Amino acid sequence: MADSSVRFDRVTVAYQQMVGIENVSFDLKPGEFLGIVGPNGSGKTTVLRAVLGLVAPAAGSVQVLGASGHDIVHVRRQIGYVPQRRPLDPQFPISVREAVAMGLYPALRPFRRPTADDRRRVEAALVSVGLTDSADHVAGHLSGGQQQRLLIARALVPEPRILLLDEPTSAVDVTTRFAIVELVRRLHAERGLTTLYVTHDVNEILPCVDKVLYINRTVRAFGSCEQVLNRETLEALYGGPVILVEEGGRRYVVVGDSHA
Amino acid sequence: MLEFLRYGFMQRALLSSVIVGTTCSFIGVFVVLRGMAFAGSGLAHAAFGGVALGFLLAVNPLIAAVLFCLGTAGLIQVASRRAQLRMDAAIGVFFAFAMALGVLFIGLMRRYDARVYGYLFGNVLGVTQGNLILMAALGLVVIGAIGLLYRQLKFLTFDEEMAEASGLPTAALAGLLLGLLALTVVVSLKTVGIILVEALLVTPAATAYQLTHRYGMMFVLSWITSVASCVAGLVISYAVGIPSGAAIVIVATVVFALAALFSPKRRKCKVCGHESGA
Repeated sequence: MADSSVRFDRVTVAYQQMVGIENVSFDLKPGEFLGIVGPNGSGKTTVLRAVLGLVAPAAGSVQVLGASGHDIVHVRRQIGYVPQRRPLDPQFPISVREAVAMGLYPALRPFRRPTADDRRRVEAALVSVGLTDSADHVAGHLSGGQQQRLLIARALVPEPRILLLDEPTSAVDVTTRFAIVELVRRLHAERGLTTLYVTHDVNEILPCVDKVLYINRTVRAFGSCEQVLNRETLEALYGGPVILVEEGGRRYVVVGDSHA
Repeated sequence: MLEFLRYGFMQRALLSSVIVGTTCSFIGVFVVLRGMAFAGSGLAHAAFGGVALGFLLAVNPLIAAVLFCLGTAGLIQVASRRAQLRMDAAIGVFFAFAMALGVLFIGLMRRYDARVYGYLFGNVLGVTQGNLILMAALGLVVIGAIGLLYRQLKFLTFDEEMAEASGLPTAALAGLLLGLLALTVVVSLKTVGIILVEALLVTPAATAYQLTHRYGMMFVLSWITSVASCVAGLVISYAVGIPSGAAIVIVATVVFALAALFSPKRRKCKVCGHESGA
């Protein structure tokens, strides 16, 4: 298992005597794309927080890039994290470029200014997400989709090996949603990232994922799309009948008479 | 015009105004952007307990206030993090406690000492050489720490959750900010006093906030506004014969009102066309 990028071994995480996740095990190899699905409060975000080392398992072990326990802190700078988006304060005095550059700050020693190489990485991240033209805009003035791109750019600046995304398409319109999914798919492929992508919408991740983790406190299913996204699992996930549609070589999930 | 500068007490008053204006203007940026105004007010009131203890034990009241304010800041930080209490509730608990101790210490004094109450409203003309040295030292600590951790504090202020997820020690940085705020309160006690220090912690930075969309520029504008208000307030108080602390705060507030009235943020953003709707 030494070649694992992320490995959960019977992990239980509790918050104030409330169980967040229980006995969760899965294994991801470098460069794999994992979709994490489950209902609200099922522990999807807790999985990401455990990868970041922000919550300590009450039982079991989490290994990230070979580190476990307190040592995860030492590999945290190799993990890019895109949190659930909250609208940025439109009056906060900071430009898009400055906000993206914050991805560098944890590695900067006191009094040290970003180097030319650091600035190059910021510009590269802005180019990657298509925000070059908005680099001098006030960060909080961006649209919802652009703010999401900003958060992705910030996560990319340290040139991470693992990318965590927590519902990156929540609160954006349908066009923007698919643009962001396509951006993540492209970044994952170009940079060989190990990607963990939390979402409610299975259709969103179907074109990208290598593996799917369906979680509801405990692991309900884990494996390839074909193994996990069968009618039985999907009906449990959505709490009702679903229809699987094959179109142009792609599979879509329809819940009841509405699109999932 | 500048004849008042011939007097030693006025030279010290002017220098102390510049020190206080500078220190408050820098920490004030965090007070405004992180919503720490109540923390500033709470720590200022906590300083009263320290000043009273200083007079009771016959030690330098500013030194006692430093220890008292830092202790209160530590208790607020521990209570809000460990007891998972909202920061404003933790401040409310401990600043009232510190004030109560101040009242208790005054009650324990053998004789009434009106100088304690001088710290409520400040007396910039009474600043001594010793006060100046202590104020300058504390001010340097505050400004040096902000300069040392400028970018890390910027990340903390903009997005604390992400700063933590990125590996920054956010609890330590937030605690440090509270400690620096406590030191700034003590720096300001002699000049504007416990009651009015809040104005210098908030008003110049709030003025700068009205005028710029740039983080670094906010420090510059806050500093200019703060030092100008302190010096102008001091000169006006000397010329008109009114209390200096009040004059400084009134000038700072007038400047804020003008900035708010003519804020470019109320107009369409020149860079991206965004309309604030403010």
